[in-house]
Amino acid sequence: MNWLLRLYPARWRERYGEEFGAVLANQRASLGLALDVLGGAIDAHLYPQIQNSNSELIKEEDTMTLLMLQRCSAGGPKLSPRDQRIASFFMILSALVMAVLYIALTKIDHSAPAVQAVGYASFPALCLVYGEVAYLRKRPSLTQVLVLVGGLSGMYLFMLAVCVIGSRF
Amino acid sequence: MIRKTKDDAELDDFGRFSEPALLILVSLAEGPRHGYSMTEDIAAIADVRLGPGTLYGALARLESRGLIEPLKSEDRRNPYRLTTLGERALRVRLDSMMAVARTGQRRLANA
Repeated sequence: MNWLLRLYPARWRERYGEEFGAVLANQRASLGLALDVLGGAIDAHLYPQIQNSNSELIKEEDTMTLLMLQRCSAGGPKLSPRDQRIASFFMILSALVMAVLYIALTKIDHSAPAVQAVGYASFPALCLVYGEVAYLRKRPSLTQVLVLVGGLSGMYLFMLAVCVIGSRF
Repeated sequence: MIRKTKDDAELDDFGRFSEPALLILVSLAEGPRHGYSMTEDIAAIADVRLGPGTLYGALARLESRGLIEPLKSEDRRNPYRLTTLGERALRVRLDSMMAVARTGQRRLANA
């Protein structure tokens, strides 16, 4: 079961890996043992106890989980107020366009699944627009188009499928 | 009411590792031991078999707080020993537990 050691951070393995392996080798393999090691690995990632006493650089894999958790707890990637304003502007503009489109479509046939799907897809679509403008604005145009068109199409097709299935019952 | 001192509170910060940490300190009170020897000793004295994940979670905490320290070893089984701080924390905790036990026994006797 020594492969479970790979679940621990590299710095932890460097410090305790050998002796931990020796203890592990003397235990009978069981689900309880695997869960104990897994719990220890999660703990080692979340609460690293090893002091950075020497000048050795912290390896990327050690800090990745921590950085990810810190980023999540801080509310995602940092956006400047300007980025937020631009993204909000595009989201509001998209909301207006979608509202006009939805109203126009309901005038034609309000019960058609294709029209209902527009209504249901509008909120997630606005989130996608905001996310794209905020986080992908500096990416290549092709990436932006692919993410936006792909995301919106996928979302619409999903909602359409739901509405079509729903209309049959 | 038993007042907790700073040394006593030291083990409380260990969360779910506080009991394993106490058992490790008790095991090391007899002298330096390596991980496997500790698990065997703890199984013998407390009838609890610590898994390696729990054992090393507690060992890492004890070491980072200076309650135990590793000794140099040629083989891969690294022994640990109690530090003065660890010994003091263990004494405080055991005294506190004994006071609770004595109070409990006395109350049971009077019941």
